[in-house]
Amino acid sequence: MKKTIAVIFGGRSAEHDVSIITAHTPIIQSLLATGQFDVWPIYIAKDGSWYSDQAMNDLAYFTQDNFQAYLARQKKVQILFDNGLKIIWPGIRSKTIQIDIAFPAMHGTFGEDGSLMGLLRMAGIPFVGCDLFASAVAMDKVLTKQVLTAESISVVPYVWFTKNDWEINRSIWIEKIAKLNWPVFVKPVHLGSSIAITKVKQNSELENAIEVAFHYDDKVLVEESVENLIEITLPIMGNEELQLAAVERPLNKTEFFDFSDKYLSGNKKGGGANSQYSEIPANIDGELAKQVEDLGKKTYRTLGCSGIARIDFLVDGSSKQVYVNEVNTLPGSLYHHNWKKVGVSGVELVTKLIAFAEKRFVSQQKTTYIFDSDILKKAGGQKIGE
Amino acid sequence: MIKNWLSRYNLRYPRFLVYMLQASEYNIRDYLVWYHKTKNFTRVEQRKRFVRTAKGLLLLVIAWAFLFFLIGTAISILWINTSSLKYIFPFLIVLFSPYFLAYGIIIPLLVIRIIIQWPVEYLIISKAKQKLKTHTAVKIGIAGSFGKTTMREILKTVLSEGKKVAAPPHSYNTLLGISQFVKTLKGDEEILVFELGEYYPGDVQKLCDLVQPNMGVITGVNEAHLQKFKSLERTVKTIYELADYLGEKPIYVNGENELARKNARSGHIMYDCGHVGDWKIENPKTDLTGTSFTLTKNGAKLELKSALLGLHQIGPLAASAEIALNLGLSFDQVRDGISKTIPFDHRLEPKTDTTGVITLDDSYNGNPDGVKAVIAFLASLKDCRRFYVTPGLVEMGLRTEKIHKQIGKQLAEANIEKVILIKNSVTSHIEQGLKEKGYKGEVIWFDDALAAFAALPLLTVKGDVMLLQNDWPDQYQ
Repeated sequence: MKKTIAVIFGGRSAEHDVSIITAHTPIIQSLLATGQFDVWPIYIAKDGSWYSDQAMNDLAYFTQDNFQAYLARQKKVQILFDNGLKIIWPGIRSKTIQIDIAFPAMHGTFGEDGSLMGLLRMAGIPFVGCDLFASAVAMDKVLTKQVLTAESISVVPYVWFTKNDWEINRSIWIEKIAKLNWPVFVKPVHLGSSIAITKVKQNSELENAIEVAFHYDDKVLVEESVENLIEITLPIMGNEELQLAAVERPLNKTEFFDFSDKYLSGNKKGGGANSQYSEIPANIDGELAKQVEDLGKKTYRTLGCSGIARIDFLVDGSSKQVYVNEVNTLPGSLYHHNWKKVGVSGVELVTKLIAFAEKRFVSQQKTTYIFDSDILKKAGGQKIGE
Repeated sequence: MIKNWLSRYNLRYPRFLVYMLQASEYNIRDYLVWYHKTKNFTRVEQRKRFVRTAKGLLLLVIAWAFLFFLIGTAISILWINTSSLKYIFPFLIVLFSPYFLAYGIIIPLLVIRIIIQWPVEYLIISKAKQKLKTHTAVKIGIAGSFGKTTMREILKTVLSEGKKVAAPPHSYNTLLGISQFVKTLKGDEEILVFELGEYYPGDVQKLCDLVQPNMGVITGVNEAHLQKFKSLERTVKTIYELADYLGEKPIYVNGENELARKNARSGHIMYDCGHVGDWKIENPKTDLTGTSFTLTKNGAKLELKSALLGLHQIGPLAASAEIALNLGLSFDQVRDGISKTIPFDHRLEPKTDTTGVITLDDSYNGNPDGVKAVIAFLASLKDCRRFYVTPGLVEMGLRTEKIHKQIGKQLAEANIEKVILIKNSVTSHIEQGLKEKGYKGEVIWFDDALAAFAALPLLTVKGDVMLLQNDWPDQYQ
């Protein structure tokens, strides 16, 4: 009998649309191609409503002009987290589907940030990709830098502050930022896909860039830019034993690799993120590639990643200094274009990720989470302090 | 069951019928065979769509008019008739209207054919025949169950190095198709190359009468269109109608094909991967970049390299070289001509995509000899994963099971890593052949070709070689 798998995507995130693409290319398409799974798409709309219909397994459902009208006619589903995950279509002809495995395909907030992983942990089913803790840390660029610095992994010098900090006393932060080597990058801390990131070259642009970042987040990061920059990215998969994809170099058209470079300018047929504007493998010397690979594995383990993640690096072209920039726990379209070049097809990729999820789940089952105690008896029968 | 039956009452049913006629090239026999085996009519228009040609639209209008007439008749009976049986006739009309329509649509087709099509075609063909009679070019006719288009294209490319050559485009190999092409001839051509299509006995004879060839090539005889020919003997007889016509004139025969070889007559010039006429073929090599070999005779040596793939191409290439030399081309011209031969559309045509997957599109190759040659080519490729994708072959008649089992065995012997099969009436025989030969690779099944094509990019990685073998039109299931 086929295993039932739920691919969860969409969500209340600035990367909602990117998530729809990732869910279909390659996840759902590959799962269907295996012929081994009964695939149930779970789509979370921008307003937070949950829907599920196997017609949504086709990306065309979401690209049709009157998609919102179709969606309005759909019945919202209820999700039961009690002893497993169940999708319920309520009503007179109610239907329930028991899900065996979940495949989160949500980018950004309320999904990739660990929220969804928390729900799936509560439900007690295996799910693909990083667990709650790695997801939550990786989603916060500042927290990531702090954790990596504690393990002596190089990161670019930075300043961070909250919206409240900024509103109380801007001048302190402007002064701190002034001490960084300019130009600097201003980034919302929790957003991915390069949304609302600005490269600031002069003082007059700084406040505006920070305001833009605060529009999307309440915590902002300002960091030095690396000159003679070589951007490098490295997808990794595995739990304990890690498998590396090719060291990839995004070839930017613009000054930095922004949202449209990542998702819109690529070869759509090739599928996913920006295959046309990447160099795979990156044309860098072997020693540097080795350094990136070692640092990638160390970063992956430090953050406690499992399943899959992508580590982004900034390399100073002159000094060859390598900095870890950020960690992405759900790479757009799983970076399947890169995996394909190292001999992992879309089908093999999703199959392996499911195997990792199941293995981690089995391992977690062996951990004891409950503890029998008589503390309640004492609380009921005898007052503390008596 | 009920769903299938109700599909005949779908509003698009008249369009589906006209599409079936159109896809059958208005061949009534083929249309009726397809109609009788179709269960769900909403699924006939899958691989292609109805093309809005004047003939198709006219038939569609007539189909709807006929349907309205039937409905009108049923209503009139209800209106006029006062007897107790007044409900029976309208009920029967409604019940059988899909069948009345399916068969009734043949009548206007026949009327169009007799009143318009046949006289017009007769005129076009007669004019073409007359024009060819006075045309001074050397006319080469190519007959065979397979490999005709490849031979035509090789000859055209090679001979063009020294002569003014013309040949019908696409698969124009019928009386009308060739006649339409003849209209475009200027009269100064030195060589004309014709592909002679064969679907029923007598076809090649009729085409010879039109083309009046003075040289011929027989590329081989096998089970292609066996369903129509009923027996291989009839196929041989039909294809050798070219030899009957040519008599003592030069005719080249593919010696690698058993039936062609056995039926060759004295004076026929044989070609295969070892020799052509008096020329010997040495040092044959093939890989993904092309095929090379050396022609030698009495100390003369001609090294040739083509971009066509597979050792099975050496025979036709060598035959073309010999024909070209006999027609007065120099060694250099032949060498240049052969070097310009490239894979043709959908015939073992290699394409490398941006992810580094090499696709060999052989979707127009649907005959057992072609399949055998292509599997041999795949077997020769080293250091790559090989995918073989096929829905099987059509029109193999009573030999269907044997031929498909044989394909399975050939794939197993070639150690092809992945075999992707489309579920239909023949592919289970391929699986059986694989099992019988202890196949160790992976067999992956898909419900239809479109699902397989969608999944292929997700199954392959850089360096993989993926062969797409044959393509099934909608009329085959």
